[in-house]
Amino acid sequence: MALSIAEYLVTDDLTVLLGLIAATVFLVNNLYKPQPLVHPILLGRQSDVGRARNPGESAVYRNYGTGLMGRFPLRPNKDVHILADLVRPENEGPRTLWATKVKPSCLNESRLFTCHRLPTIGFQDRIAAVGTGLLRLAGLKAQESTVLLLLNDSIEFLLTDLALASHSILSYTLSSSTLLTSVLDSHRPSAIVTHAFMLPAILELLYEHTERSVQHTIVVVGEPSAQALASVASNITILKFADVEREGVRTQKILSPVPKPSDVFTVSFYEAENGLIQGAQLTHANITAGVAAIHSLLPAANTFTPLDTITSAHSLSTTYGRTIGYTALYEGTSFSTLVSSATYHIGDRHDTLDSKDAISGTQYPIPSPTVLFVRPEHLKAIATDVIKQGARSWLLYPFAWRHKVSGVTEGFVTKEGLWDRVVFDGARTKVLGPTAATLRAVIVSGGPIEASLMTPARIALSVPIVNVVSHSLVSGPLLASHAFDLQDFAPEKTKSGALLPAHTGPPGVNVEVKLVGVDDEAVENGADPVGVVFVRGPPVGKLVNVEGYVDVPSENASEEDAWTGIGLRAKVQSNGSFVVLTD
Amino acid sequence: MGLHLDFELPASSSPRRRKPTTTPNEFKAGYSWMPKSHPPTVLFKTYTPKTLVPFDGNDGGRILLAINGIVFDVTAGRNFYGPNGMYGNFAGRDASRGMAKQSFDLEMLTPIDQPLDKLEDLKPDEIDNMKGWIDHFSNKYIICGKLVGNDQA
Repeated sequence: MALSIAEYLVTDDLTVLLGLIAATVFLVNNLYKPQPLVHPILLGRQSDVGRARNPGESAVYRNYGTGLMGRFPLRPNKDVHILADLVRPENEGPRTLWATKVKPSCLNESRLFTCHRLPTIGFQDRIAAVGTGLLRLAGLKAQESTVLLLLNDSIEFLLTDLALASHSILSYTLSSSTLLTSVLDSHRPSAIVTHAFMLPAILELLYEHTERSVQHTIVVVGEPSAQALASVASNITILKFADVEREGVRTQKILSPVPKPSDVFTVSFYEAENGLIQGAQLTHANITAGVAAIHSLLPAANTFTPLDTITSAHSLSTTYGRTIGYTALYEGTSFSTLVSSATYHIGDRHDTLDSKDAISGTQYPIPSPTVLFVRPEHLKAIATDVIKQGARSWLLYPFAWRHKVSGVTEGFVTKEGLWDRVVFDGARTKVLGPTAATLRAVIVSGGPIEASLMTPARIALSVPIVNVVSHSLVSGPLLASHAFDLQDFAPEKTKSGALLPAHTGPPGVNVEVKLVGVDDEAVENGADPVGVVFVRGPPVGKLVNVEGYVDVPSENASEEDAWTGIGLRAKVQSNGSFVVLTD
Repeated sequence: MGLHLDFELPASSSPRRRKPTTTPNEFKAGYSWMPKSHPPTVLFKTYTPKTLVPFDGNDGGRILLAINGIVFDVTAGRNFYGPNGMYGNFAGRDASRGMAKQSFDLEMLTPIDQPLDKLEDLKPDEIDNMKGWIDHFSNKYIICGKLVGNDQA
């Protein structure tokens, strides 16, 4: 018996070789799988869920990192209490904000000898100068006046905003130029700061809507045309921003009492989902909390450093855009905004949010952007362009794509792989230019992203893409996906047949979210809660209605723990991530 | 696609082209997984002494007790508050007076059909003791409802 078996099992060298090859293939297949960027067990519990819930509501959800018992991060650093603290003079290294190089202040005596350039006026000194100039020339009074900021994103916006905040002067900003008439009618600002090209339009509005007897002061950034200056009536004073700043440098600085973190420093007006014009009252504490929240969007290993450059598609006139700007200021990065983010422009302008717009921040002399804060339309445009470009190399592209897809299915994506060097880097450089090499994270907010776009976008860009839900009332991210979350689920449809958008993630690190209007019976039987999002936390500002509408005060208007309704419907999945519903 | 290609690049040899139609419920079964159920949450309900009584754990169900109008779910402490536990008297009842006076006697419990114990005759230190117990219970157990009188349901 044994002999016959041995006759069949002829083990010669070829058998041994094939056996070794089979063993190697088996081992390599099992062990050489790429490690996921974040262990999937962590993605199964992204929120900390409250253990009791009110009838008709879901439980209270918090970010798992914060926890139900944890305190919300209120500020990025224990020393940052008000807006002015976000400008840190010890940030070594120059950086560029739009077109202005900001160098650390050299006016400090001990450093005069180490500075090899002439003492330049530092950023904080410019803020103080603008503040003093405004108080002296524009006749503003600290803690009393209000100023309407009609500026596009620029260094002057930041200077004016910080200057006004340091003197406790309320500033108004508009998220869209269509709100100007209503806001001018209902709120009478003591002064208006605007660009030279908008001067004729502003003057026209003032003549139409206000009486001749009322005094107005307009501070103009840039050179107003002689025509505009000639048409100025007697009750309007025009000042140039450069003159205001020069006056502040020349004269003695006016010091005002330091504002408290709970002081309201701005009201940001926006058009709500129901068409009403609403304003978000933001305090210093709201913005510092928002900065802390944005700081935590990127994981600790890849956090913001002064070597980064941030480009934002969100205007500084909006709440979230403002917080992004201040985050850039605090982190010491260079910063600029995209062309499409400009709130004010002459005439009708249709901005196409495409990949060219996504890199339009590079029109300023900033270093190549490393972190992009863009809109879903930008992401779609970039992803489709890169894929189209990559598909041109018809021989290698299918292999590259398959390799990347298998990596993403395992939760792994990298920008330094073989196929990136061969196929994708070239495609990215064609579409994004020099940004392709330096880009290291993309944070998307401003609308839902199609679920089918997420994996192609992750492969095309191969950097962490964070899906954020923001709102004009909340300075930080409301919901934010985990930076390394590469999960992709089978497409689902809602009852009305529309496809669900891509999932976002747990609530931001310093907000808590609950859903109201939930079907109790369905939830008790294990279904996902679906309802209207209500939020509470340090970054949430107070809602004010523009006068002229009936002001309905909420019952808990004075309570610290009042919930604010965001007009969004969402559902929570069992792993704690939210999906915003579009219908 | 030669076989030798599959050997060299194992990760690309057989990627799943289509996503699995059912989402896996275990992380070992796939990267894009979803837990089978939500973490358990209890619905905040309003109880009266009569509706609270069934929750004394005798039938193996939830165990609730109330202190100062707050109803706690103490099912996790079945050893103490279950039928054979040391403090089993409190299960399904208003335990405010017992908590305040640090006593587990049956005299501390108000009969079910009478109005709620107003706790007016408690001394300040007894009220503090009761508040201390409320804190302890809030941290250890789940607040799942409030207790109102039989006529206020």
